[in-house]
Amino acid sequence: MSTSFVRLVSRLLVVCLIGLPFQVNAGMIGTDEVVSAAQAQAARATVLGQISRADVAGQLQSLGLTPQAAKDRVAALTDVEVAKLAGQIDSLPAGAGSSGLLLLILIGVLVWWMVKK
Amino acid sequence: MCRAAGKARVRAGFFFAALAAAFCLGGCVSLPQSDALRVAAPAGLPLRVELTQVPFHLQDDFLCGPASLAMVFNAAGVPASVDTVTPMVYLPGRQGSLQAEMLGATRRSGLVAYTLAPQLASVLREVAAGTPVVVLLNLTIRLFPVWHYAVIVGYDLEAQKIIVRSAKRARDEWSFSFLEFFWQDSNYWSMLALPPGRVPATAREADFATAVAALQQAGRVREARESYRALLERWPANLIGLIGLGNAEYAMKDLRAAERAFRRASETHPGSGAAFNNLAHVLAALGGLADAEAAARTAVALGGPTLSEARKTLDAILALRAAPR
Repeated sequence: MSTSFVRLVSRLLVVCLIGLPFQVNAGMIGTDEVVSAAQAQAARATVLGQISRADVAGQLQSLGLTPQAAKDRVAALTDVEVAKLAGQIDSLPAGAGSSGLLLLILIGVLVWWMVKK
Repeated sequence: MCRAAGKARVRAGFFFAALAAAFCLGGCVSLPQSDALRVAAPAGLPLRVELTQVPFHLQDDFLCGPASLAMVFNAAGVPASVDTVTPMVYLPGRQGSLQAEMLGATRRSGLVAYTLAPQLASVLREVAAGTPVVVLLNLTIRLFPVWHYAVIVGYDLEAQKIIVRSAKRARDEWSFSFLEFFWQDSNYWSMLALPPGRVPATAREADFATAVAALQQAGRVREARESYRALLERWPANLIGLIGLGNAEYAMKDLRAAERAFRRASETHPGSGAAFNNLAHVLAALGGLADAEAAARTAVALGGPTLSEARKTLDAILALRAAPR
């Protein structure tokens, strides 16, 4: 390969690299980093959350989600939320209401009446 | 299997509820918020509001989470039904929906998920401003919780009642104390699903900024950009808002707008390494390498948690400047 050809290619490459508008975007600081820096008390939870994403996705899978659905859902959570979920998915409130809902509401109403009377 | 579990649940619920009733006959339960509202109504609220335009979605077994979200999504202008929301939020193994995932599903639908302060007065203010509110209730007692989501769409200060869409009922009226009794076990948890560009009536600066940043992190950059603009209109110097807006503009390839945002961030927060680091990136992308280098040097000099990123930025810019033209 001729040296002039190599030189031409390398020059073209240099021009391309300089011309590309997003050539240094690797080091942009994300908004989430600024958020966690702004909330000193949340910083620990943020670190835990980053570590725990895969764990939480795994727990969601074990509760009946497909791997892709679990991944998509975890991606929509903040680090602080992920940290809170990690290891507690089985015990945190899961709003449902069931077929027994009506009866339960009746019981609740009964209790409430007794409290208020 | 499910039915058996349901029956056992109901029976146990009955037992504990009866127990609770026995314990509480003396009136040991206090309902401070509804008591306070009875004494004095929150200032500046209309006496009666009902958001009749909020549609109702009927809840099948276990699906109060998706049904509630579908209602507030529709109210925010996003088409949704129980069928479309269920895969985003319902967790089969728990036969229910987690609070965090209610927020996540809201973001995935392009809306800002905002958690209110644990106050009934805040809920009323949001409803008065036209936003329906999702609340998390415990239908039984703390020892044996059965969690349930419902949507508050109105209130009446004279009658001391809220108007609610819940389970199979499109419109119910509950007294404030009735709501508070079932609501207190969730620490008065409630959330909004806000259309992009809308600021909650009871917004707290840091919490709203974090909520918008979460929408951006969830990948809804265009919507987050609109909400950052609204945030900055209200709080022009908010750092998360300025950096977030700059990052959103950058992601949407509007480099001039990104530059403006990061410049504002660096001027209002001269100690923010992130502001100068990101400004350096955008300036470099726009071809102003000398200015970019100056910004990057400031970012490095500021140090702090962004120091290593700032060093990389400076190195990249120096390499570009050294490259043969």
